[in-house]
Amino acid sequence: MGIIKTKNLNYRVKIKNDNNEVTGYKTILDDININVKNGEFIAILGQNGSGKSTFAKHLNALLLPNEGSVFINGEDTSLVDELWKIRKQCGMVFQNPDNQIVGVTVEEDVGFGPENIGMPSKKIVKTVNHALEKVGMSAFKKKSPNHLSGGQKQRVAIASSLAMKPECIVLDEPTAMLDPKGRKDVLDLVKQLNKEEKMTIILITHHMEEAVSADKIFILNDGKPVICGTPRDVFLKIDEIRSLKLELPQIMELSYRLYQKGKISRYDMLDVDEFVAQYKEYVIKNNMGDIKKIRQSKNDNIKPEGLIEKTIQLQSEAERRVETDVLQLKNVSYSYDIGTSMENKAVIGADLSIKEKEFIGIIGHTGSGKSTLIQLMNGLIKPSEGEIYFRGKNIAEKDFNKRQLHFSVGLVFQYPESQLFEETVLSDVMYGPLNKGYEKEQAEEIAKKSLKSLGIDEEYFDKSPFDLSGGQKRRVAIAGVIAMEPDIIILDEPTAGLDPLTKDRLLESLKSLRQNKGKTIIIVSHSMEDVANYVERVIVINEGRIVFDDATKQVFKNIDELEKMGLAVPTVTYVMRKLKNEGYTEYGDVITIEEAVNVL
Amino acid sequence: MLRDITLGQYYQADSKIHKLDPRVKILSVFIYIVMLFVCDSFIAYAFSALALAMVICISKVPFKYIIRGLRAVFVLMMISALFNAFFTPGKIVFEFYFIKITQEGLIKTIQIGIRFVLIIISSSMLTLTTTPTNLTDGLEKSLGFLNCIKIPVHEIAMMMSIALRFIPILMEETNKIIKAQTARGADFETGGIIKKAKSMIPILIPLFISALKRANDLATAMDARCYCGGKGRTKMYPLKYKSRDYAAYLLLGLFIAVLIVEKIFVG
Repeated sequence: MGIIKTKNLNYRVKIKNDNNEVTGYKTILDDININVKNGEFIAILGQNGSGKSTFAKHLNALLLPNEGSVFINGEDTSLVDELWKIRKQCGMVFQNPDNQIVGVTVEEDVGFGPENIGMPSKKIVKTVNHALEKVGMSAFKKKSPNHLSGGQKQRVAIASSLAMKPECIVLDEPTAMLDPKGRKDVLDLVKQLNKEEKMTIILITHHMEEAVSADKIFILNDGKPVICGTPRDVFLKIDEIRSLKLELPQIMELSYRLYQKGKISRYDMLDVDEFVAQYKEYVIKNNMGDIKKIRQSKNDNIKPEGLIEKTIQLQSEAERRVETDVLQLKNVSYSYDIGTSMENKAVIGADLSIKEKEFIGIIGHTGSGKSTLIQLMNGLIKPSEGEIYFRGKNIAEKDFNKRQLHFSVGLVFQYPESQLFEETVLSDVMYGPLNKGYEKEQAEEIAKKSLKSLGIDEEYFDKSPFDLSGGQKRRVAIAGVIAMEPDIIILDEPTAGLDPLTKDRLLESLKSLRQNKGKTIIIVSHSMEDVANYVERVIVINEGRIVFDDATKQVFKNIDELEKMGLAVPTVTYVMRKLKNEGYTEYGDVITIEEAVNVL
Repeated sequence: MLRDITLGQYYQADSKIHKLDPRVKILSVFIYIVMLFVCDSFIAYAFSALALAMVICISKVPFKYIIRGLRAVFVLMMISALFNAFFTPGKIVFEFYFIKITQEGLIKTIQIGIRFVLIIISSSMLTLTTTPTNLTDGLEKSLGFLNCIKIPVHEIAMMMSIALRFIPILMEETNKIIKAQTARGADFETGGIIKKAKSMIPILIPLFISALKRANDLATAMDARCYCGGKGRTKMYPLKYKSRDYAAYLLLGLFIAVLIVEKIFVG
């Protein structure tokens, strides 16, 4: 028997009506039978609300099944008299790094578990040091967790479970709140623990790219395991994956599209090297080994269709814009805690001009100054140096109405759903327009319009915003900002923590806001794929300075510089660069799958 | 203003004061405050201030950091000082219609002001140089005798420790919510008291919800790491008195002795 085994695992929650009477049951986990062997790396995928987290909590005996049983190392979790014996064997790491750290210093937090199980003091110190070494955080032993980056905090959380000497670690979306570098660090660590320490890993994630490294993937849908198998087998079931509203890893997507066009004979490649090897085979097989020939033929072909369309589109848009600057930043700097020893320059000498109808992406690692920059843009904070102009007017001038700027440049904070407060969805969205000075009827009308523009139907208007799903809450919160009728909408990581389907829907709504209503959209994002797919212009910030500000394609050409800043480029760009380096394609700077399919 | 409270915020530095056993520091602050009430002459205050200044110097905590905590309670301090200035009977030095300021009143105001400042600085010193966990460890140990009368000392200490850890996080959260609602056009400045109170709702509700969610998450995380109360728990660094702690106790004794001598012979 493996380390984890579930037998007909069922879990239900009571549904209560307003009078607190039980009206029925909702099944969260439905008949799960799985068997995990020691040392296996399992990834669990599924939409928001598919029961992934509930399942994870069963492995640690935080929840007990209503029916069926969970065995950890052969022991039934509902029959064990001392739960800590189970919990010690199965460590857990949660999504939000802040909410799981108990200790005030890194070391104290890692020691918390061993203290709980009554380990002798000297042994705790040893165990803690050992655990911190394994995650590479020894240097931060005495530091406060509040001063660490998200990725570092998650590594501390992993060390905290390691200190209990578990045989298995369950990670519940550990990378959802991290930037690309933090995500990579955490994932590398998890892989290393699995390989070197033979640790059993259960990783719950929304990132298909992460699931690819697992030995096995389980996909949950409505509490049922629908697909199980190795990543290759699982992702080959393309139609099923799509019907479950999940997406394919980028390389798979690319190879499948090329396969459909008859370009390659297989589409089960999961990493860059595999794909490049397969593509080479195709080139050689078709007697196109002579690279010069390909080059010529490509040049003869003028340009593939997709590319032409895109350039034409860009040109005409540029014309339409007629160079009207909506917002201009001139040499803007901002420092926190001026005049103290902790003075910290968050933004240094930013020069920017935002034009009408643009779709802009801002990227940079956590703490690079992105959040400060966007707060400067809508006047929430005043620049320490430099000027900001809104439609040609200096916002620092006395006759400029600063509240008006909040309305004209809408700012959606990260996790905006945490700012909902009203009793109904509609009245929450009306908050902004009412503040703006609209009469009730007018405000209601505007609120309804903006809710609809984000795909929230009328049936939800009178519901409490707290009863909605995560993705719906997010959209309601964004509608609350759109209802103020801003010319520019800035969104700080609008897609963080959403599943692929919800994410795409949201980005599509933003895109149509721009096309149909002529709004300028600025998104801050950690997902290079989203940036590549939706945005035309990218602003890269590093250490408070704007390093790049150019068309998306131009920016993603600087792979090495971006990586040095803890950023990345879309996977497909890595593929194309490799192909170009080996002489198989002309187009090394392709950033979307669409384009790649067209040029290959 | 919320951000300026330094109470409960640990300032990391490598100093003798930081290394002291928390029990020493807790007892010292307690006695220090008692002594401020017992000995209220200006000489005693000068001596107490000097002692505190020495502690601050040794602790390596920047002075600016310490007085930041004062700003938040400044208003409270002013109100209580003014009350004393206006309502203490005695020799009148200044009169304006019904406002009478007396000499005794002035002296009392100054005394109360000094006492207030010293109390706040000394207790901030405790929290600035002691990690919350150490602080609660110290309290847990010092108050351990209360267990006999069935007061759950460990649980209270744990609650305090968690509260202290989450103060900075919740402050940041408050700040973020205020900004987010301002971005939605909220107006916290204009209007009467009722309108102002109403304008707090969009801040308070999200803040409560988030605090509850955090509490829930944290409880789950603690459960997952085998927390089940104080029973059978060990400590990574159990509190043990070292020679420097005895030296500190000695200095504390000296401090008390000087003040008592002053009280008897001078005051």
